Amino acid sequence: MADSTPKIKILKGAEPDLSAATFQIHDESHTLGNALRWMLMKNPKVEFCGYSVPHPSENHINMRIQMYDNLSSLTALLEALSNLDDLCGTIEDAYKASLATDPIERWDEQS
Amino acid sequence: MASSSSQLPSSVFDPRRHVGINHERVTNVSSTDYPGHYPDEDHSWNFVKFKQKLAVSVKRLSQRSVEFDLVGVDASIANALRRIMIAEVPTMAIEHVYIWNNTSVIHDEILAQRLGLVPLGVDPRTFEFRTPSDAPTDRNTLVFRLNVACERVKSAPRGSASAFTHEHVKSGDLEWVPQGEQAAVFADKPPAPTNKEIVLAKLRPGQEVEMELHAIKGVGKEHAKWSPVATASYRLHPLIVLNPAKPVPPHLAHKFAKCFSPGVVRVDPSGKVSIDERHLRKESMSREVLRHPEFEGCVELKRIRDWFIYFGNFFSRVLMSVCAVNVESEGPYAPEEMFLESIKVMRAKIALVREAAEALLAAPDSEGGVVVSADGDVEMENT
Amino acid sequence: MSSQQGGNYGNPPASGGAAYMPQRQEMEYLCADCGAKNEIKSREPIRCRECGHRIMYKKRTKRMVQFEAR
Repeated sequence: MADSTPKIKILKGAEPDLSAATFQIHDESHTLGNALRWMLMKNPKVEFCGYSVPHPSENHINMRIQMYDNLSSLTALLEALSNLDDLCGTIEDAYKASLATDPIERWDEQS
Repeated sequence: MASSSSQLPSSVFDPRRHVGINHERVTNVSSTDYPGHYPDEDHSWNFVKFKQKLAVSVKRLSQRSVEFDLVGVDASIANALRRIMIAEVPTMAIEHVYIWNNTSVIHDEILAQRLGLVPLGVDPRTFEFRTPSDAPTDRNTLVFRLNVACERVKSAPRGSASAFTHEHVKSGDLEWVPQGEQAAVFADKPPAPTNKEIVLAKLRPGQEVEMELHAIKGVGKEHAKWSPVATASYRLHPLIVLNPAKPVPPHLAHKFAKCFSPGVVRVDPSGKVSIDERHLRKESMSREVLRHPEFEGCVELKRIRDWFIYFGNFFSRVLMSVCAVNVESEGPYAPEEMFLESIKVMRAKIALVREAAEALLAAPDSEGGVVVSADGDVEMENT
Repeated sequence: MSSQQGGNYGNPPASGGAAYMPQRQEMEYLCADCGAKNEIKSREPIRCRECGHRIMYKKRTKRMVQFEAR
């Protein structure tokens, strides 16, 4: 795989102000696609958000974002990414706290 | 945490959190917590609210498995973390096999494939990824040797079970060859297969194998041998709701209880049926109760849409011999570390995309902003 | 996929093995019947010294073969 492939491309047909655009994210799959789609849909300024894996042998996803009020979809994408990172950080902290304080049943598993 | 006490939190009975389980169908499967779904309700992302509702609780832990609850997240998040545990948390596995001699009956390529699947007990975080163009160094490659020859034991009595040495080539025969700094770095815990009893080949007297093995860092989406888990799965927390308007007839109480997993339904001496909420998570959701017309309307089976019970398990991915010994941890990560690693990978992915998106925002017409048609072809000029 | 190391005849493997193999090494064969090692020179009858069997196996090459563990 050539390293020169850009991580994100904006596909043809996007609004000039990016109020509606399809972002092609390279080297990503349902893993990030669906999580990001969910976070974008939590944004009330997003009119529509959906993603697809165009073909299983192509290593990218297409993320479609349409905005109300001619807002920028790129800004919404950045905001969703930032929120998703906060979410992950919260889960991480909660898991660590549970590991340290919760009563855990420890058992011996034989091979 | 909710289920450590006998009482489930009351929010569990919020019908919006329920997935209905019926005789031949499931209902209300999709989440509805999006802005605009319910009139006059705000479902936009709210970090403070999320933090309040989130509950994580590790339940069970063994040398090679972990079970924990993750409550209050959407399936898309839970699934992303599950997928990452399987396919994107890196481990070390044998990739290159250099065979000088193999006179066993097992073919070179089969033996090489089996060697690749042997789980190695070495922390992948101390290694770097190696691309095909990279030269092998002590920072990206682990070297093992496998030199085994089978011979007849002259002193052994005729027909005895151990008349030969090295009748089996086992994973424990892999011999680590430290490179460069590795001898110092791994002095405390020399890299070795986590299970020493995996049979790789069988030998007869006079047969031998002689090979060198190079292990490199990789991820499960490239090849399953790099997957750190045998299974990483989740299920939704079960919920059984008895209908107070139609109680179970006392003479059928024990039959009713037998429709569920043991311990889930209690029957008191008077024949009154109740649900033991401590054991609710054990319910297999067999739907047996729905097959009996006498229980129709007595009970509703449900699952809680945002209560994920994760289960992660490590297991040797090659057939194991019958005489397995006790092993301390079967995998490069301790079971409880797996989930934290998956979060780490997730955040790294987010950071990578964010970096690209920020670059796009700063210079929309630069390299990253190449406008291409949806089929991936770059538009040609003057056509 | 496998790849044999070195195209040159008698090219020694990267590690182990002598720097140069003698031009004419005695070829050892294995008896198909009793498994005994037999050195057979050219124009000699093909026959096991131990059991007299007339079928011999050639030994596996000492050259290194590389595989991907997939």
